[in-house]
Amino acid sequence: MNTSAPMTEQALAFNKRVRSYLRVLSTKAPIAQTPKDVVWSLNKAKLYRYVPQVPAERRYPVPLLLVFAIMNRPYILDLRPGHSFVEFMVRSGFDVYLLDWGRPGLEDRATKLDDYAIDYLPRAIRKMKEISGQQEFSMLGWCIGALLTTIYAALRPEDGLRNLLLLTAPLDFSNRGHITFARWTDERYFDVDKVLAAFGNMPGEMIDYGARALRPVDNYITNYCKLWDNLENPRAVEAWHAMNTWVTDNIPMAGAAYRQLIVELYRKNALIQNQLRVRDELVDLSRIHANLLTVIAAGDHITPPCQSEAIHAKVSSTDKESYHIPGGHIGIMAGSSAHRTTWPHIQEWLSTRSH
Amino acid sequence: MQEQVNDQAKQFDPFEPFRGMRDAYLESISKTMIETVNSEGYAQATGAMLDYFLTASAPFREATEKAMAQTLQQLSLPSRQDVAALAERFTQVELSLDDLDAKVDRILQVLAAAKPAQAKERKPARKRTATKRT
Repeated sequence: MNTSAPMTEQALAFNKRVRSYLRVLSTKAPIAQTPKDVVWSLNKAKLYRYVPQVPAERRYPVPLLLVFAIMNRPYILDLRPGHSFVEFMVRSGFDVYLLDWGRPGLEDRATKLDDYAIDYLPRAIRKMKEISGQQEFSMLGWCIGALLTTIYAALRPEDGLRNLLLLTAPLDFSNRGHITFARWTDERYFDVDKVLAAFGNMPGEMIDYGARALRPVDNYITNYCKLWDNLENPRAVEAWHAMNTWVTDNIPMAGAAYRQLIVELYRKNALIQNQLRVRDELVDLSRIHANLLTVIAAGDHITPPCQSEAIHAKVSSTDKESYHIPGGHIGIMAGSSAHRTTWPHIQEWLSTRSH
Repeated sequence: MQEQVNDQAKQFDPFEPFRGMRDAYLESISKTMIETVNSEGYAQATGAMLDYFLTASAPFREATEKAMAQTLQQLSLPSRQDVAALAERFTQVELSLDDLDAKVDRILQVLAAAKPAQAKERKPARKRTATKRT
């Protein structure tokens, strides 16, 4: 009996496994595949309109604008075909737009949250209204995108915002004991001006380190073990590959905006106390009267639930709902169960308010 | 028989027997690490390390920047700051263009409202939007 044959097979299989592993780690997955048009741009920002896939008569008239964070790529909302929130909403009959803030360069180091909320966002909205022919619109903000949409909604309540959706929104920084970032960026330990004097903008690598270091073992070890364990499951590998492509695609954050985030929000908690001033205008949350849905991830370690809950008591909206869901900061929208939980809930909530 | 061998080979993973042990270990160490990074001590230590790095690297960074600026000046080449300043001006021009675009839209809307019959025949404002398929 020849016993070397199975051993050779095993060695070859192991070799194949290692090569597959390295291929996934060293390549980029095809992401953001839903067809779209660039309909507006300003500096690095671009507004995309996704090509409608439902006949006009069956489409919801109120357009939906998606606004993601300024220090991550927005294609997490359109990660891969068959598992894309954008694709899901377009197929549900929504006229979907996505605002991509772009990658800030050294010349953008003075760009503040004010500029994003008052210059870029209203201009993109104007273009969206022009294209859709609608005066009212819905807006979904996620993470820092939710912070910007909240500021915008409070400063421009008459602009036609009908529905406001806030996903894992960092708005309230009062419970510092539960917010790890607040501890790390405490003025006793972290000199934000020194960092920005050295780099201009906040480097994407440092932001990435901050996010990963919240759960170091999970992000630096367990995550890669999971890939190894699931190498024979093509669907799991595809999902991991796409997510890793997004996670490793880091972009810097405009220096002045980062400083504002740390000083005005993490340290002074100005927004939720109605003390934040944007271009000399006071951001008064009680001026928000749009229908409001806040989506809160129970297991969010980046934006703990306590940061998103207080907004309901501050706004004037009569139609408001808080949707708590198990999962993490990104997982609730891009995780394997998002298409069964978060997406249908958003779609259902929005569909009854988009006629 | 051959299929069985192939299946065994396909499933072969020398680390398989240690998987349970590995997961249990990682889970326990993960909890400890999460507690560690959430502590004041960690915040203080990372803050101090970052501060030390920035302080120590500042003279080298400044010297490099100065030398680079002088070299570029002698070669009559624009520095990074020059390019950044130019880009800032471009952004201002783009903002002005966007304002003009908004004004034109408003004018078209007013005209359309004033002359609904003519406006019907007029090319809709949305057609002016330059689109680029990606």
